[in-house]
Amino acid sequence: MQAFFFSSAPLEPERYHAAIEDPAAGGYASFEGWVRDHNEGRTVERLEYEAFESLAIKEGERIVAEAIAKFGVTRAACVHRTGSLAIGDLAVWVGVSSAHRGEAFAACRYIIDEVKHRVPIWKKEHYTDGDSGWVNCERCAAAAHDHEHEHSHPHEHPHAHATGDFASHGHEHAGAAQHDYSRQIALPEVGRAGQAKLAAAAVLVVGAGGLGVPVLQYLAAAGIGRVGIVDGDVIEASNLHRQPLYGLADVGRPKAAVAAERLRALNRDLRIETHETKATADNIDALVKNYDLVVECTDNFRAKFLVSDAVVRALKPAVFASVHQYEGQVQVYRPLPHWPCLRCLWPEAPRDGMVGNCAEAGVLGPVPATLGAMQAMAVLKRLLGLDAGEAPALVTVDLLSFETRRLIARRNPGCDHDHPGVPAQVAGTPAPLELEFETLAEAFESGLELVDIRETWERMHDPPGLQIPTHLPLSALVNGYLQFPTEGRYLIVCAHGVRSLSVTEQLRAQGLDEVYSLRGGLAALRS
Amino acid sequence: MNRIEIHYFAVLRERAGTGRETVETVAATAADLYEELAARHDFGLPRGMLRVAVNDEFAEWSQPLAAGDRVVFIPPVAGG
Repeated sequence: MQAFFFSSAPLEPERYHAAIEDPAAGGYASFEGWVRDHNEGRTVERLEYEAFESLAIKEGERIVAEAIAKFGVTRAACVHRTGSLAIGDLAVWVGVSSAHRGEAFAACRYIIDEVKHRVPIWKKEHYTDGDSGWVNCERCAAAAHDHEHEHSHPHEHPHAHATGDFASHGHEHAGAAQHDYSRQIALPEVGRAGQAKLAAAAVLVVGAGGLGVPVLQYLAAAGIGRVGIVDGDVIEASNLHRQPLYGLADVGRPKAAVAAERLRALNRDLRIETHETKATADNIDALVKNYDLVVECTDNFRAKFLVSDAVVRALKPAVFASVHQYEGQVQVYRPLPHWPCLRCLWPEAPRDGMVGNCAEAGVLGPVPATLGAMQAMAVLKRLLGLDAGEAPALVTVDLLSFETRRLIARRNPGCDHDHPGVPAQVAGTPAPLELEFETLAEAFESGLELVDIRETWERMHDPPGLQIPTHLPLSALVNGYLQFPTEGRYLIVCAHGVRSLSVTEQLRAQGLDEVYSLRGGLAALRS
Repeated sequence: MNRIEIHYFAVLRERAGTGRETVETVAATAADLYEELAARHDFGLPRGMLRVAVNDEFAEWSQPLAAGDRVVFIPPVAGG
């Protein structure tokens, strides 16, 4: 049986079920989507499904293959109806056979969710009042008012959209258009899970000028849940050539307030917090504390180093950029041991006035726009986890030659800023008990020795590449058969981060200062 | 003599009047090379304020140079 196909005839679940039986499978999970008799308050009589089949089959097969690889299930398949369906008809079937039930459920859920938003299938609803409509097309046209041509040619949509509406779906027809993230959700690396991550994120943008404007616009448009804007300046006419979010009528008004106004008009899903002030030594820690990530978009060294020091203290990632005439630099900081902060790169913190800023040296608008767009991209990559394998670097961009250069940067061990990476400590505050890593490789690179305290039987199913050499099973530690070393720097690892935290607390009480627990355990790592 | 490809950024580019040049030099280290070029182009910035990257990796000023190396001098940049 093909992994994914369409059927214009009624679906036959028994037959598909038989086709994915396997002697190695200990369980089977299935999902069936049926045609229901209402949608958004209207009574539906029947439905028509139409698919762009050649494309849809490829994408569907890809989704099933992803599910098999991702969850390690034995077999999986999905069948979707096309043509005319009556109420109660089976519209889509997903089946998964697997050694264990957990993976079967997860893979089944994954397949139907991904099919719904990646496979190009359209649904026409026929209502009892005689009316009818292409549901996804209307939804798209309502949200994307700039794509009116698509409205009149609903069958020619080149993009994947949500498919048949099996679950309750609540987009509003009344009132203003809703923000529609379908074009970014369509990316396999984003998906609904990625969109949810963006919606859950809080980002602080320091500076709403040449860099800050594109950063704010793209972050707001992408659906970041909460955005903070720090800027104490008012808009000047000389800003507009590189800050076209503002207009002549805004001259003299506070940047933060006007930016917030424009962004709210762009995306009502957004929560915007304005801080009409300069970033100062007195307010920066309190500002940074309330956000997950900081984007540094000011035009002076004082602020840049202030932000760098604050994110190092707070263990928050940050994205820095600067421009000079036709060039710019971007640097991402992550609170990982081997990642350089701004001071690692520039040990002699430059003073403002030594090298020109935009006001003194001049700049063309697209230069900060490009660098700001790169910062926004770096933020999205970080929040979506698309940058996991990236080495720390300073990226230089020359907009005259269009050359970019990625210069690998390392943490400076002599960085006079107290920047131990693991962890950045503020004098007088206790070191955190837990550290967060995205991959085991990152944890290994932290400079801490990893100690696996799981029991031997728990380690038996570890993939070969993920073995932690140092193994001190908790039972042996508790019974006194093995003892924890009395010195060294360790990262304690268990399955979910509960046992490791309690061992870490105990070791700290015994005077071992540089011992940490892997937050969330191995389960929280990305494979 | 080593043939070295050099890239300048920001204020150094302005002073040198070019973003890129290739030089034949006896400079043994990145520091020697900068001093040589600073004299030729009248760079005002002290070496301590700059960073140097050799073959796309940030390097110490004491890094020895070899023929064919690509050396990038990067001043800090503040505009935004």
